[in-house]
Amino acid sequence: MDFLAVFIPLFPLLAALFIGIGHLFDRMSGDAGERIISNIAVLAISFSCFIALILLGADLLGMNSGSFSIGQWLGSDTFKIEVTFITTGYNTVLSALFSVLLLIVIRFSVNYMHRETGFRRFFFNLSLFASAMLLLVSSGNIVTTFIGWEIAGLCSYLLISYAYDRPIATINATRVFVTNRIGDAGFILGIGLSYFYAGTINWDALNALAGELTIPTATVIALCFATAAFAKSAQLPFTPWLARAMEGPTPSSAVFYGAVMIHAGMFLIIMLQPIFERAPLAMDALVIVGFATAVYSFTVGLTQTDVKSSYCFAISGQLGLMFLECGLGYWELAAYHLCAHAIIRCYQVLTAPSLMHNVVGNPIKTVSRDIINLRWLYIASIQRFWLDPIADRTLVRPIQGLGQDLSHFDIYVIDRLMGTPASPSRAISSLAQLEQKILSTSQSDFNINQFGHGSGIAGKFFEWTAKILGWFEERLVLQGIGMDIIDIGNKLGHAANTFERLLLKPRYLVLFVFIVLLIAATR
Amino acid sequence: MGILSTLLSTPVFGILVLALTPHHKINQIRSLANLFTSIALFLSCWLLVIYNQNDGAMQFNEQFILNPKLGTTFALGVDGLSLPMVFLATLLTSVALLASFNISTHVKSFHISILLLEFGMLGVFLAQDWSLFYIFWELTLSPLFLLIARWGGVRRHIASLNFVLYTMGGSIFMLISLFAISQYMPEHSGTLMSSMSVAVQSMPSGEQFWVFLGFIIGFGVKMPIFPLHGWLPLAHVEAPSPISILLSGILLKMGAYGLIRVVVMMPETAQVFQGPLVFLALLGMIYGGLLAWRQSDLKAMVAYSSVSHMGVILLDIATMNKTGIMGAILQMTAHGLVAGAMFMLVGLLYERTHTRNILDYSSLVQVMPRFALFMTITLFAAMGLPGTVGFIAELHAIVGGFQQWGNLMILLGLSILIGSAYAMRTIGMLFTGPVKSQMREIEDLRIFEILASSVLVMGIVVFGLWPAPLIDLSLSTMNLMNDIISQRLQ
Repeated sequence: MDFLAVFIPLFPLLAALFIGIGHLFDRMSGDAGERIISNIAVLAISFSCFIALILLGADLLGMNSGSFSIGQWLGSDTFKIEVTFITTGYNTVLSALFSVLLLIVIRFSVNYMHRETGFRRFFFNLSLFASAMLLLVSSGNIVTTFIGWEIAGLCSYLLISYAYDRPIATINATRVFVTNRIGDAGFILGIGLSYFYAGTINWDALNALAGELTIPTATVIALCFATAAFAKSAQLPFTPWLARAMEGPTPSSAVFYGAVMIHAGMFLIIMLQPIFERAPLAMDALVIVGFATAVYSFTVGLTQTDVKSSYCFAISGQLGLMFLECGLGYWELAAYHLCAHAIIRCYQVLTAPSLMHNVVGNPIKTVSRDIINLRWLYIASIQRFWLDPIADRTLVRPIQGLGQDLSHFDIYVIDRLMGTPASPSRAISSLAQLEQKILSTSQSDFNINQFGHGSGIAGKFFEWTAKILGWFEERLVLQGIGMDIIDIGNKLGHAANTFERLLLKPRYLVLFVFIVLLIAATR
Repeated sequence: MGILSTLLSTPVFGILVLALTPHHKINQIRSLANLFTSIALFLSCWLLVIYNQNDGAMQFNEQFILNPKLGTTFALGVDGLSLPMVFLATLLTSVALLASFNISTHVKSFHISILLLEFGMLGVFLAQDWSLFYIFWELTLSPLFLLIARWGGVRRHIASLNFVLYTMGGSIFMLISLFAISQYMPEHSGTLMSSMSVAVQSMPSGEQFWVFLGFIIGFGVKMPIFPLHGWLPLAHVEAPSPISILLSGILLKMGAYGLIRVVVMMPETAQVFQGPLVFLALLGMIYGGLLAWRQSDLKAMVAYSSVSHMGVILLDIATMNKTGIMGAILQMTAHGLVAGAMFMLVGLLYERTHTRNILDYSSLVQVMPRFALFMTITLFAAMGLPGTVGFIAELHAIVGGFQQWGNLMILLGLSILIGSAYAMRTIGMLFTGPVKSQMREIEDLRIFEILASSVLVMGIVVFGLWPAPLIDLSLSTMNLMNDIISQRLQ
């Protein structure tokens, strides 16, 4: 039954392709189009869900061999990436669970997104995300997991900026994406180090080799992957991105940050259990970060006044607990915690918009007496411990400043030395500029003197060399050889003609005869 | 009668039929000429089909003795080096005829001259006997002289005279070299290429040096190699555009073709010249590129860019390794397509606006979108953008050159950079910018012109994305030549 694993990510991918191509050619609009799109998306994820459940059943009955390979994707010397799928154990459980949750959320979105402007876009993203996520949990090697990981991150970016006409949404989307890229750097480094030290990038092989790795090696690899996991699962210090990500439509928030994608980091840690167990320092890091995140999220969550924000700190807090459990060695517990949390949170976030109706009349519970008077804690909580401003101050602004300085350097030094790529006077991008251009061209004849001119030192050098060569060509090659040789030929011809004419005159003829006779006589 | 002599005689039949047609029936003359070039094109397509790619030696050999006393023979044959050129010659002749519908004076003699030119070009690439080769080589001169001098631009007389003097001057040296080799031939044994390449081995190396120099001058004028290119800008600019297509597309390749044959014939001497040749090649590339950058006349720009691109071919030949010579063939085909397309498009533009000064143009994309598409792809190919056939050829040049000379190939990179500078500037100046009132009423390409230019542009793009058939066509011949060269050099 192993081969079934291939189809789990495949169906949503096909659905996404279909919807995407339809969107590209502007088909499937209107209510009829909505019906087609939603049917396709729901049908695809239903198939995946069905297959995932069969695969899970087969695994429980012991009919799966463990992995299924469909061939090599990339090979360079000893570095080979095979597309393999894991068909046993926790991966099948997760792919079954996630596909069920994805099915629920996609079905929920059909009504929720009805007649929204970005209906096609939304379902394209959601299907693509479903495919990526199912690839992530079922893939047998780190690189294909990373592919799923990245596509999921991209879909998250696209859905946060779903309302891209609102500046806040796009700013938040960019911020979230960039924060996640810090984790991706750790992931890529982790892949590289695993290949370098262990010589493999297959999950099974890597974990089997864990015992042979030295402790520092295992620690470095584990810390790299831990960074990726912290970023993806919104652990400290990356937690603030989660609150920004709640910008997207509710179903996408539910599936990305409630149920599925937020757990990808935790999943990564669980996959690497043997490596982490080999690296005590990395385990400590899990404990510290998990615990700190749990405390932080609890404290900040106390002062939140809207449903989505409260949920988002509850989510990061629960994930913090999972990391803590892993760090303490309760791997089984963390795995169960993940599944349970995914189910509960999916339901909670989906119902968030109607929560206010359901709880109307219920009094809000006050916080406990012990911390109610701690004012500094209140301020810190309401400011979310200033994590965003700190990140701004320490990372964003210095980088922006550096960028500005480099831009100045570019304009004032590099451009002057090397010349600007094109004369800006001819580059026209807008209609207004065009009008302006027409006005200015009628006034001054700017073109004639500008031809064949470069700017900057390199450009000037270029120009002067070209000038010298042009003179050479004009004077020597064209004039000298081309014209002058013809002239010389003409002159020689004239001379020969003159000589001939002179020769034919009687006096020279007679003289010639005399000379001949003279020579003959001397013989 | 074999397929090669059938192919070669097709233009001759065309000339005979046209000669009997009354000169005032212009449409009939045009369609007859097109018919015969199409037959030739069809025959060369058929030749491509039946050609055996796995055999690198000469195929479809035909031979009968012309002059028993001297031993000269009428010997034809085709291999992986000449077959692409034969096909290109027939293709570009058809394209040139499609692009010459605006020729309205002396239509009959124009078409006869073009067919005569096709006869000469095909003969050069098919001939397997040096004397036959020389006859066809000289035969191309007279129709070209007439075509430039009668239908050319303002300075056509000086241009045609210049062209003929240069080429004749060069071919004298070639003739002397051929005579020098024939001294070492047995009596009455003729001038077959194969037997002459055996005879040349018994020549002392001091004499071989001068013989090879003669060949370089002879073929170098035609190619043209850097200091011998004086005829080219004038002839290209003044020639009518169908003739510019043939001139740059095929006639320049005759020089390169001859040079490759000579390098394979006497590799030891060629090795002596390797250094000077690569120097001339790199110099010519940069020289041509810089001058093209300076030209405000569109046709002159294309002409100088031809000098630059033919420098790449010379560099390829001078590497004398497998990749390099493969690159030479690819660049010959690529430049045939690119320069042909470019001259045709520039010519069509000139017919509409009667100005070749690039500063007069602006924002053409709004009135001539189809022209803009074809011209842009062609210019991209000229600068060697990946996805076009120019890239494949330049890649071979860089790889082959790097194997031989290493970091010197930075200069090749520089010339590519210069090439993209003028190509991008041309695109910018032709198609963007403010709308000028005199450029608002230009007609876009007509159906025949689209047909002609899309054949070339499709070739550029298709072989750029999928170069394997082009490479496979010449690969076994390349292996054979490379084996000969490396055996002789040991």
